[in-house]
Amino acid sequence: MKYETVIGLEVHVELATKSKIFCSCSAHSFGAEPNSHVCPACCGMPGMLPVVNKRVVDYGMKAGMMLNCHINRTTTFDKKSYYYPDLPAAYQTTQWFAPVAVNGTVEIETSGGKKSVRIKQIHMEEDAGKLVHDIREDTTHVDFNRTSVPLIEIVSQPDLSGAEEVEAYLERLKTLLRYAKVAECEMAHGTMRCDVNLSVRPEGSNVLGVRTEMKNMNSIEAIKRAIEYEVSRHIDAIENGTEVLVQETRRWDDIKGKSYAMRTKETAGDYRYFPDPNVMPIVIDDEWFDSIKATLPELPEVKKARYTGEYGLSDYDADQLTKSIAVCECFEDAYSVCGNAKDAANWMISEVMSLLNVKKMTYDMLDLNGITLGELIVLVSGGKVGRANAKKILAAIFDDPSIVPEEYAKANGFIVSNDTGLIATVVKETVAADPKSVADFKGGKEKALMALFGKCMKQLKGNCDPQVLRKILIDHINGL
Amino acid sequence: MERETLRLLEMLNQLRLTEEQKEKVISFCNNREAALKALDAIDTENVERMVHVMPVLTVVREDIVSQPYTAEELQQGAPETDEGYWCVPKVME
Ligand SMILES: [Zn+2]
Repeated sequence: MKYETVIGLEVHVELATKSKIFCSCSAHSFGAEPNSHVCPACCGMPGMLPVVNKRVVDYGMKAGMMLNCHINRTTTFDKKSYYYPDLPAAYQTTQWFAPVAVNGTVEIETSGGKKSVRIKQIHMEEDAGKLVHDIREDTTHVDFNRTSVPLIEIVSQPDLSGAEEVEAYLERLKTLLRYAKVAECEMAHGTMRCDVNLSVRPEGSNVLGVRTEMKNMNSIEAIKRAIEYEVSRHIDAIENGTEVLVQETRRWDDIKGKSYAMRTKETAGDYRYFPDPNVMPIVIDDEWFDSIKATLPELPEVKKARYTGEYGLSDYDADQLTKSIAVCECFEDAYSVCGNAKDAANWMISEVMSLLNVKKMTYDMLDLNGITLGELIVLVSGGKVGRANAKKILAAIFDDPSIVPEEYAKANGFIVSNDTGLIATVVKETVAADPKSVADFKGGKEKALMALFGKCMKQLKGNCDPQVLRKILIDHINGL
Repeated sequence: MERETLRLLEMLNQLRLTEEQKEKVISFCNNREAALKALDAIDTENVERMVHVMPVLTVVREDIVSQPYTAEELQQGAPETDEGYWCVPKVME
């Protein structure tokens, strides 16, 4: 018998706000001392009241818009009962009855073609703290730095049918949320985590099989392996009766390549959701809604079409540039100054992006002012600065964004000289010192001219219009 | 309330009640339940869901960081701390 896999995902994404969702503690505690970003509110001290961070609602709404959701204009927070020491209040403040966004879609493309994945809802909630079990034998250590860091949970309908679609879906979510600048979505950093709900049924059947859930998956490769394992475990159980499938939460051990039962799945009733009496309803009026709508970015495929169409860039160039919104913005600003899209694209791809690679930075980490880059490109295309020197200026701008390219070029002697007298002198001396290259060139070796040209350019410290130098050099040799 | 429901609630809340306490809770809840059931008689068709009992909206704050507390201050009432951590009885999945 043939089987089909039915997968729904719950994806937790950490929002890129400065402070936590209900208090003013910093939301960024990577590498910080334990409990250095905590206050009575996020430590769950009795009597503390939550105050909602507006940017969390902004970002939740924006994420909803990116995923074609309906935005609930009245959205509320609820308490989810949860007894575990990583949540000190013994409940998680989340959204159950009126989440910020519902009923969306995400378009994906795989080898099987295009597909629309339905989004059930996006809700805003607080993250839990961290438990450390291995410092001492007799006790568990608790760090509340991550408690109350804002998350959105994106719940899909069970529309995915295998590892390839899951990967495409997660990649698409990442792209959309990064373009919207609401989240980093880096699984390796824990800013994107994924629960996989999976069941298997005979192909064509419309009855869902027994569903198992794997929690907190944190790499796409592990998710793919876990899906493969679970599918064969389910089919084995159905066909060979190797075990009785039960609805449960399982933990994936990526090293052993196996999943293990964790606990019987609590139903929604067990969490005993109830409206949080401490957070009043949030009403999103037209002004607020429109102000967020106005900040939605152009989608990557729309940008790509514009780059290849309007700007005349190659498919390859457009693909490279649209990998990251930060790169797109820098490119577009540079183009607005230099007026030559191909030039701006070349600088972005061969210089800026390779500098990022050298510095082991992601494209999204690019923090280069495109206007400044545009000014630099103008200096090169106008023959004022040689390309080699321009690269040095670019490297300097990377380290010090306050640099003005033309001033820096002047201060460092990078301005191309139009002093033909000086060029002629250098040419004369260089040619006199290298009779062999001259003879080779006269004997028909084009490369010998390049050698002489390079020596002259070096002598002039790169500050010379290549065309002018070439003409003076050839004229001089021919005149010998 | 059935005894089974109470057993589930005990488990979820990590409580252990004595026989006497159980009897008390069950009779208390059953009284309240009867009062709540009276509400079922009201026709709520086409009535919009009440989002909150208070007729006020939330106040939001700007996304600004401030850190007026130290771990030491917050941990003054803690039974045990270690290297900046709160210590709790050993828990493992
Ligand atoms: Zn706090």
